Amino acid sequence: MTRVVNSRIRLLLLVILLTFGMLLAREAWLATVRAASLSKLAQAQTKSQVVLAAGRGTIFDAMGTPLALDEQATTVFADPRQIAKPKTDARIAARILGLKAAQLYPVLADHSHGFVYVERKAPPDEATLLAKRNLTGFYFTPEEKRVYPQGPVAAPVLGYAGIDNTGLAGLELELNGPLTGTPGEETVVRDPLGHVIDVQAEKPVHDGHNVFLTLDHTIQANAEQVLRATVAKWKAKDATAIVLNPKTGGVLAMAMEPGYDANAFPRAFAKGLQANHAVADVYEPGSVFKVVTIAGALSDGLVTPRTKFRLPYSIRVADRVIHDAEPRGTETMTVAQILQHSSNVGAVTIARTKLGQAGLLKWIRQFGFGRRTGIDFPGESAGLLPAYWSGSTIGNVPIGQGVSVTAIQLASVYAAIANGGLWVQPHLVDHVQGEQAPALRTRRILSRRVDRELLTMLKGVVSDVGTAAAAEIPGYSVAGKTGTAQKPGPHGYIPGKYVATFIGMVPASNPRLVVLVTVDEPKLAIFGGVVAAPAFAQIAAFDLQYLEVPPDEPLR
Amino acid sequence: MLAVLLAGVVALNVAVLRVNVDVTNLDKQELQLQAQNAALASSVSSAAASLKIEATARRLGLVPAPATDTSYIDLGSPAAKP
Repeated sequence: MTRVVNSRIRLLLLVILLTFGMLLAREAWLATVRAASLSKLAQAQTKSQVVLAAGRGTIFDAMGTPLALDEQATTVFADPRQIAKPKTDARIAARILGLKAAQLYPVLADHSHGFVYVERKAPPDEATLLAKRNLTGFYFTPEEKRVYPQGPVAAPVLGYAGIDNTGLAGLELELNGPLTGTPGEETVVRDPLGHVIDVQAEKPVHDGHNVFLTLDHTIQANAEQVLRATVAKWKAKDATAIVLNPKTGGVLAMAMEPGYDANAFPRAFAKGLQANHAVADVYEPGSVFKVVTIAGALSDGLVTPRTKFRLPYSIRVADRVIHDAEPRGTETMTVAQILQHSSNVGAVTIARTKLGQAGLLKWIRQFGFGRRTGIDFPGESAGLLPAYWSGSTIGNVPIGQGVSVTAIQLASVYAAIANGGLWVQPHLVDHVQGEQAPALRTRRILSRRVDRELLTMLKGVVSDVGTAAAAEIPGYSVAGKTGTAQKPGPHGYIPGKYVATFIGMVPASNPRLVVLVTVDEPKLAIFGGVVAAPAFAQIAAFDLQYLEVPPDEPLR
Repeated sequence: MLAVLLAGVVALNVAVLRVNVDVTNLDKQELQLQAQNAALASSVSSAAASLKIEATARRLGLVPAPATDTSYIDLGSPAAKP
């Protein structure tokens, strides 16, 4: 009996030993051979790597008002393979997110994909409503969405950041580098129920830098409003305005009409409204260009403001007949009167008899035409100078025909005249947060003496006997120049199509502002002094009051 | 003694886990507040748009003051000095 018991005990012991041996062998197997793969599997179940998207910097105006910033949005995506009732789910999601169920259904029903977007950057409240429905296969992830809270204000200047928050146009494109941050990374440790129990930061996120512009949203919005009324009044194709600080080159406003809501850029792009005409488009400037001819002749000591010329109503230059805007008999005019009355014959006579082709070309280049101003905006045009000078070119160029310029080139040249002859590079960006404002780039284009003479002559334009009486602002002295240019087409100038321009500086005694207004294809009147000058006066009067610039003349 | 030490270690780990959960919740809260802040900044900017202010002012019966109606005092002129 005892022997039987002993043998049973030994058997039991053997079984136990074998069992423990097997367990030990299994443990050794798991702890050594399978250790690496199991450890990886365990980490995958509890730890996950999360990329932290960097926020895009905010674009502020000069007053610190945000013009472009990031808002939180929720991207809704789905795994169609997990969706059992695509028709019902599509109907629910479409109703909550404001989508079309008929378009969403085939996307959710297509089981060939494991990932589809339901809506990128949906409003968070709508996404939360959808999340509460607990639809299987629907997932939600937060994303940043670029918004332009002031809608149409400065839209073509600000441009657009696309669905992936990358700058695609305008300042968003130009400043994409500083605005874009560096994404971070962290490891999230979760318990078996999925709750986060630890976050191990690996790479800190660096948001993009904020950018401060020279634009002032109030001046900008007012300029846009005035242009809107001007385009409507004269049934024009479009209009552009620039407000510059002549001392710093800072652009206070760069307005275009028709405009668009910056939040609806893709629609505006489809309609071709997105272009910044002030920087990218060129046009023949017309009489505003006469200032180059006269400044050149004054600077080279060939004439003085009092030099007299005997001028018929029209003159022939090679195969072209040049005449003044209004019929008149032969008159004697001083250089100052030529500018005041915007005499085509007078300007061409000065260029032909005094400056010559080489002298004129030298001064055109000296003023910076034919090359970019270098403004901090993408797609700037350099303008066009005549590639070949025929016999009649000297009859065109001095009066602003046969050359093409941008509005920003013209505005910066008049700003130089307003700034004692010192040209300052125009710019839209004041500074990037954390960086010094870049030093002003300047170039002297006129001597102080010639500049003073020119400014005095340009004051004569804005008077009862000049071409721009409509540009007068009570209490302020104004200097400026009108321009009325025919639009060129493939077969010469297009009949009935004009560009009306006025550029003025105010107060003329110590200019604080230079304002350019260009109206393209006005229908009911064509002259710069009639169409563009009143818009200048409205914009400048508002800005002077807003900037608290005291009057420099007694009220009449 | 060993049991007390063991219990202490467990309690410490639990406390660390709790703090981690709190930190995670605070991070979430921070993100929510940042989102709210951005939304509010956007609303403020939108409300500060001069066109909106002007439209509201006009609705209330206000009209823009003509630029020439603004008076300035030159504190630098001798007449302004006491």
